[in-house]
Amino acid sequence: MGCDIVTVSTDTQFVHLAWQRDEKELAQVKYPMGADPTGKVSRMFGVYDENTGLALRGTFVINPEGTLLNSEVNFYNMGRNIDELLRKFKANIYMAKKTNEACPSKWKDEGDKTLVNPGAKMVGKVHEALNA
Amino acid sequence: MSEMDGGLKLGQKVPDFSLTTYEPTKGDFGKFSLQEQLANKRWTVLFFYPADFTFV
Repeated sequence: MGCDIVTVSTDTQFVHLAWQRDEKELAQVKYPMGADPTGKVSRMFGVYDENTGLALRGTFVINPEGTLLNSEVNFYNMGRNIDELLRKFKANIYMAKKTNEACPSKWKDEGDKTLVNPGAKMVGKVHEALNA
Repeated sequence: MSEMDGGLKLGQKVPDFSLTTYEPTKGDFGKFSLQEQLANKRWTVLFFYPADFTFV
């Protein structure tokens, strides 16, 4: 998909190394693990918790032009759903190609119904557009 | 409040940043740079989590 995933925490790269080598669940991990011990990058994205020095569970999608297109932040105790992340990511790629279309909430993959040229004509007629 | 404190808004250009990384595929340290991603026309997904040695 022409995409790179980078994981980031406020641990150092040395701890990343030790954890990835030690934890068998991470044996298959391939993406780079970013070290943000000063919290600079975490602060930039608004996920730095000043009380704990840790980063909240934030996911951010940046397009090849450097524009921030998605953000999702969960508190400590809620894990993220990879299917939802993939859905949003596929939708971003699709809409980058088809700039006159919008992906509705139920859109999952290419071929699913989109809203074409959403505008004045569609006001009050979204149901008809989705079920045409 | 500056951009750095409040968090970036959707649609904003992300200021350049870089991170020292550990690269599991190489078993070595490396560097991630947003500028490099843009130069190579790559999408980026940043995945923040609280801490190593905890469940992610």
